Amino acid sequence: MPFDANSGDLESALKPLWLRAQSGDEVAYRQCLGMLATRLRGYLRRRLAGVPDEVEDLVQETLLALHLQRGTYDPSLSVSAWAVAIARHKLVDLWRRRGRRDDLHDALDDVDEQLLVAEPDDGGAKRDLAVLLKGLPEAQRQAIVLTKLEGLSVAEAALRAGASESAIKVQVHRGLKRLAALVRRSGSDDAFVDRQPT
Amino acid sequence: MLARNAGPAPRALAAKRLCPAMAAGLLASGWAAIVWFGLIPWSLFGTPVPWTKMVYASALAAAAGWWVARLSRPAASVVHPRSVVIAVVLAMAAIGLVSWLSEPADRRLAALLGHSWLSCPPSVLVLSLPALAAALWAVQGLAPTRPRMAGFAAGLLAGSVGAIGYSLSCPEASAAFVAVWYSLGIVLTGVAGAILGSRVLRW
Repeated sequence: MPFDANSGDLESALKPLWLRAQSGDEVAYRQCLGMLATRLRGYLRRRLAGVPDEVEDLVQETLLALHLQRGTYDPSLSVSAWAVAIARHKLVDLWRRRGRRDDLHDALDDVDEQLLVAEPDDGGAKRDLAVLLKGLPEAQRQAIVLTKLEGLSVAEAALRAGASESAIKVQVHRGLKRLAALVRRSGSDDAFVDRQPT
Repeated sequence: MLARNAGPAPRALAAKRLCPAMAAGLLASGWAAIVWFGLIPWSLFGTPVPWTKMVYASALAAAAGWWVARLSRPAASVVHPRSVVIAVVLAMAAIGLVSWLSEPADRRLAALLGHSWLSCPPSVLVLSLPALAAALWAVQGLAPTRPRMAGFAAGLLAGSVGAIGYSLSCPEASAAFVAVWYSLGIVLTGVAGAILGSRVLRW
């Protein structure tokens, strides 16, 4: 079933706990829900890449459904397969709901999306960038942050940095070149492999 | 936290919901059949006329009930109950075919159509409606992850229950008639269940 490659491990850890939970063991039940929540979050996040805001809601909704419907679990079933079937049902339900709503409110939604677009928080990329920028000399870093990240014009950046426009241009040029070199090197010697999997 | 005071999980949930629902549906369809169409003469209860239909419809109801119960349970396999449902329908078709072929050729059309071939399927459908509502209610409280399929199976179950009710007031004697027109009425109820199921069976 489509949990993970190691869902067998999850199942063998989960099943005895779940059976105890089914017969009324609260501690085991809490542990089960915790384990399932983690896996479900991963499962749903992979499938809701376009709407990350919905993931947590859907995880909670699925857990609630698992709780309400635990009478439909049968010991002959795999706990993870049963949980995934419920999660998939909730996922389809969400798509159907969104599809219908988006159809009804086509024009308004387009406007909303442009005005209130929710920036997906890409923590990983931000962190990588910060690490890379630390490898630059101060002047180059400042020039890149002002022009490329804050989006100022060269003239505005020069004013902010108290440098001439041509100096800013030179620093940006050198800084970008150096960043590129850093990225190439880190790609080859795996300086960033300690990055957390997202 | 959901785990607090959760207590043991309820057991045999599908049976607990489906059985009373079907008992209510059976009473409703039997009562409606007697009130609207009238009971067949008592003498017929000494012949196989009502019993063929009741045995067929009960077998189909049991198989469809098993199928619905599996469909109401996420990730449960539905292969076996589905095969049994198909097997019951095919068995009745085979019995009907044999009895039809054993009729003399000039009476075959009459054996197939009876007096009421046109009214039988809609009557079964109408008498199944209370059972259909009850079955959909029962399934809705469970966890059907394939609403349309679950609605269809619930419709077959309800149709079989309605057919048991209708057999109290249907005087047709031919097995071929039962195999064709009762099955058609039951499948019609199944289709109604599928249409309703995709709307009603949300949780």
